[in-house]
Amino acid sequence: MLEVRDVEKTFHPGTADEVCALRGVTLSVPDGSFVVVIGTNGSGKSTLLNAVAGTFLPDAGSIRLDGEDVTRWPEDRRARKVGRVFQGPFSGTAPTMTIAENLALAARRGKARGLGPALTRGLRREIRERVAALGMGLEDRLENEIGTLSGGQRQALTLLMATWVKPRLLLLDEHTAALDPKTAEQVIRLTKTAVEEGRLTTLMVTHSMAQAVHFGDRLVMMHRGKVIHEVAGEEKRGLRPEDLLARFEEVRRSDRLDAAAAGLLRSFYV
Amino acid sequence: MNLLIGSLTIGFILSVLALGVYVSFRVFAVADITTDGSLTLGAATAAVLLVRGTPPGLATLAAAAAAAAAGTVTGVLATRFRIPSLLAGILVMTALYSVNLRVMARSNIPLLSVPSLAEVAGRAGERLSGGARSVGVLGWEVAVRDLAMLGGAFLVAVAVAALLYAFFRTNLGTAMRATGNNAQMVRALGVDTDRTTVAGLALANGLVGLSGALLAQYQGFADVQMGIGMVVWGLASVIIGEALVRSSRLGLALAGTVLGCVLFRLLIALALRWGLDPNDLKLVTAAFVFAALVLPRLLERSARRKKVSGA
Ligand SMILES: Nc1ncnc2c1ncn2[C@@H]1O[C@H](COP(=O)(O)OP(=O)(O)O)[C@@H](O)[C@H]1O
Ligand SMILES: [Mg+2]
Repeated sequence: MLEVRDVEKTFHPGTADEVCALRGVTLSVPDGSFVVVIGTNGSGKSTLLNAVAGTFLPDAGSIRLDGEDVTRWPEDRRARKVGRVFQGPFSGTAPTMTIAENLALAARRGKARGLGPALTRGLRREIRERVAALGMGLEDRLENEIGTLSGGQRQALTLLMATWVKPRLLLLDEHTAALDPKTAEQVIRLTKTAVEEGRLTTLMVTHSMAQAVHFGDRLVMMHRGKVIHEVAGEEKRGLRPEDLLARFEEVRRSDRLDAAAAGLLRSFYV
Repeated sequence: MNLLIGSLTIGFILSVLALGVYVSFRVFAVADITTDGSLTLGAATAAVLLVRGTPPGLATLAAAAAAAAAGTVTGVLATRFRIPSLLAGILVMTALYSVNLRVMARSNIPLLSVPSLAEVAGRAGERLSGGARSVGVLGWEVAVRDLAMLGGAFLVAVAVAALLYAFFRTNLGTAMRATGNNAQMVRALGVDTDRTTVAGLALANGLVGLSGALLAQYQGFADVQMGIGMVVWGLASVIIGEALVRSSRLGLALAGTVLGCVLFRLLIALALRWGLDPNDLKLVTAAFVFAALVLPRLLERSARRKKVSGA
């Protein structure tokens, strides 16, 4: 269970670069549920995920995770509970280390790291099996530097890393946006499998209309640092892309979103 | 022949420093100038302890620990206080100049008449050779003591490289390597990157201090100036090593660093013999590192231009 309450974040306060990225966001993700976040570029989606992961501390508000108040916890401590896949395929892996070493790092998420060998024989075997299950043929390249792989392969491995130790919360930030359509499809299928098999509590930001409609049991729309709309339950299950467009229109009419931004949303998702 | 043996010995001793620079520069991507101060700190600490009659092994370990403490300070300045690592290194190096003078209480401590690791090596060598003071090597008469010191330096360099290799494959060691590789990612995997960075700089400088302690015992003195320019020496070794092994694989990179350092020392010895003014040594070293950093980029660019014009 994730509970974000009235979280605010302003970057570079008091300077010419001041950006009010989150203006009081409240959001909850119950255990086992899958919440999808959409919104215009710069609406604060990544900032919200960063606030939850602890990349920075919020200016105001509170964040509870798994029954604990983690608002002041540093990022590495929250990582005990949180698994993450970033937008850029380069963000989630250590490029000059091998595939096996990267996965070994992930296998100790939230555990002490001492002078034991990182890659034991047992772990190697497990890595081989789980990498083989991705169906990308990477199990024979475990000793290759991960930086030599394609973006899609790296995202698939980052997903495996984020879920290797079962996270209490999985954060996905447009993790297929940088991939070509075919690879994106492959990675999203792996995501579905991982989330369903692990019954993972998931918060996913997406750029894709299809993903927004087909994934998750709740949809959250963000604009200018605020949650402006939610679709849940029956309504979410029956949601079609047209409905979503209509929602954008509605939001525009109800004047919470000015015409320019709605146009932007449209050009984004259509 | 004696020149060759001397150069090799110093090469292997300095390769411990080069391994330290490999850790800070390649693993953590920090050009750590603390190196210049911590080499001297290692030498000074060892010298003072040896003069007071501390067993050589213990004095050498204490020297490494003192230098590791200096690296810790740099690490804390760079992480806890968010000072750019280059500046943090400059601050600590500058402070160490005073610290080193305090430790030594003068600018030079001779060690020729006190028991040191050099003497330990010499005695071990004489025992191995059955009491002979010199032996023939390829037709040259060589002092057993010199050969023993070369052997000792070689063993230390190999042992340090092997230990580093083993360490960087542990859970903690891989987390440290990943910190320099992609800090954002290891934090997301639960690693406190501030702590791994501090530990890494402590390790790097500890090795540098060890190298300084060995160098002082080999040369027979510690001097407050002996650290000047040593970080550049380390960088040169790392770069030559990379050119030799052409691989970023951990084991090869470590071996390359040791070889690079020894080769660089041999080249310098040859240059000195051919009339290079010792005063110009640092200039030549710096120019070399500059060229090694810039040339590959220039070559690449001209290769690309050729490709473009050829196409
Ligand atoms: N680390 C940062 N420093 C300064 N500004 C930032 C930072 N992160 C995000 N922002 C700003 O905050 C706003 C929201 O950004 P972001 O959350 O990345 O949007 P989204 O992911 O919805 O496209 C943008 O205006 C962006 O420029
Ligand atoms: Mg974003």
